[in-house]
Amino acid sequence: MAVTYYTLALCTSKGGFEAIPRPKLALNLAEARDRLRAAGIDVTDARVMLIAAMEREVTLSRDGRVLIKSRDAEEANRVFAELRRVVGLPDTPDAASASG
Amino acid sequence: MLMSGGIDSPVALHYLLRQGHEMTCVHMDNRPFTDDSPLAKVVDHLEVLRARYGQKIPMYLLPHGPTQVQLMRETDRHVGCVLCRRFMWRSAERVAVREGATFLATGESLGQVASQTLSNMRTATASVALPIVRPLIGFDKHEIESVAKAIGTYEISTRPGLCCQAVPSKPATRSNLVQILQEEQRIDVDQMLDDVLKHATVL
Repeated sequence: MAVTYYTLALCTSKGGFEAIPRPKLALNLAEARDRLRAAGIDVTDARVMLIAAMEREVTLSRDGRVLIKSRDAEEANRVFAELRRVVGLPDTPDAASASG
Repeated sequence: MLMSGGIDSPVALHYLLRQGHEMTCVHMDNRPFTDDSPLAKVVDHLEVLRARYGQKIPMYLLPHGPTQVQLMRETDRHVGCVLCRRFMWRSAERVAVREGATFLATGESLGQVASQTLSNMRTATASVALPIVRPLIGFDKHEIESVAKAIGTYEISTRPGLCCQAVPSKPATRSNLVQILQEEQRIDVDQMLDDVLKHATVL
């Protein structure tokens, strides 16, 4: 089944943008952590989630949920694209459009 | 007084100040599991209440993110909120002892979130010895919001911000102290608390 990250939208408390994969993923966070660090990105590894200090701080959960600590849609899209590139998250070229 | 940046804690603080208590506040800094907004809100809440009551109200800013990381790595996620809460209480109690305070206080009311079931409150507060005052325990959300609007803290509390990212997808609403104590054997509680207090900042 194809995975889509079709939501990159303001989270319920309006503090950041989140992207939720459908269906949920089962990411190898250790591998994701290593990829991020290899790209020179500082990562806090809380085992069930990673917090990456990218252009804006990003939380990546094992189920693939991404939370970007930015309230700027353009910035959030940029960070999300970079995260997907570095970690190798499933590619959905037409799906990741931020909306406020 | 534990201050979160939410709607409830400044209202609870307002009632205690109104009764004439000299208060010291504690904010558990949950970054990177949240953003800067809770701290900014607490700072603004205190500004409003300091002006209203003419009291200095010192605030201890304590780092809680490293504790959360350790809890997430070493303990059962299902009871993460209770374990987190126990650290908040213990940290607040250490501040209270340092300040010579005679009680702890929060803005908790029954049943609003996972950490506020009676079962979880009991398990969480079994970690401390000082009495705990909860001025809002029987209030409903609407009543609390009305007071928050009246005292000028509601607009601050409801500014955009991130929810705690460390909350598990299915937090326990009923917790068992025996299980909680077993979970805490996986970590060095005293060392973690020492680290928290060592990095305290007073605002």
